[in-house]
Amino acid sequence: MDIRVDKDACVGCGLCVKDCPMHVYELQNKVSVPVRPNNCMGCLSCHEICPAQALEHRGIYPARRHYIDIKVCEMLRKVI
Amino acid sequence: MSAGYIDELHETFHSDLVYRSEDIPLDCTPKPKEMEQTLHGVMKLNGLVIRSLEEIAGRGANAVTYRAGKKFGHEVAKYFQKRENVEEALHELSDLLRGQYSFEVWKPEDKETFIIEENGETFIYLVFHDCIVRQTLRRNGLDQGGPLCQTLFGYVVGAIEEITGRKAKLEIVHTGPNACLKKLVLK
Ligand code: SF4
Ligand code: SF4
Repeated sequence: MDIRVDKDACVGCGLCVKDCPMHVYELQNKVSVPVRPNNCMGCLSCHEICPAQALEHRGIYPARRHYIDIKVCEMLRKVI
Repeated sequence: MSAGYIDELHETFHSDLVYRSEDIPLDCTPKPKEMEQTLHGVMKLNGLVIRSLEEIAGRGANAVTYRAGKKFGHEVAKYFQKRENVEEALHELSDLLRGQYSFEVWKPEDKETFIIEENGETFIYLVFHDCIVRQTLRRNGLDQGGPLCQTLFGYVVGAIEEITGRKAKLEIVHTGPNACLKKLVLK
């Protein structure tokens, strides 16, 4: 897995370090560094928790998404 | 209610179609795109059933849903070929789950084989990618890992037991928005 952290965006909160079950990240000089990218199984919990949206995973399998609320989407389409 | 509306309704549910008893539909109707609303209705309903079950039965809800899933797993896998080899059994299982769930056998980089022996336990890590349970929970704003997940657990355990003839247990290691890591413990 190719994991990239936007160093300028990362605020060094360490949430990804704490949340990743596979201990993929480590904080180095107040920035998250993916030290064990091959241990990533693609759950994307880190994306959900990162307040700075600083993470990028390449080569991931995106699970099917059926949960998007179609009524909300319809409303949004009208507004946007 | 106006007569115009009632006429409109009658119009909607009337067709000139001749339907014979031998006309067994071979496909789902309507088209998948039009099924979106049905799917969402089913997901909402399942979410509400599970939420109510949790409210009434508390922690007992997990036992109920696990058992239901396990029975279902045994029932469905009964017609599949029996296999002693766990890898082949998992292959059989992925055929069984196709379209609703997809999973892969996974290992951390420091492990040499997919079948791991640790602390007197033999297990295999499974990463579940597509999962209709996860979709339903997220659709309803419910936590992952609760009673609805237990139905899938039971299902997998039931099916594996049926195919291999061995006792099994499934544990959640992690639940995420895009995939969940589970541990299939073989006994
Ligand atoms: S996707 Fe999951 S396993 Fe991979 S780095 Fe993020 S939290 Fe860790
Ligand atoms: S969660 Fe985001 S902002 Fe916080 S340390 Fe990790 S990458 Fe940086």
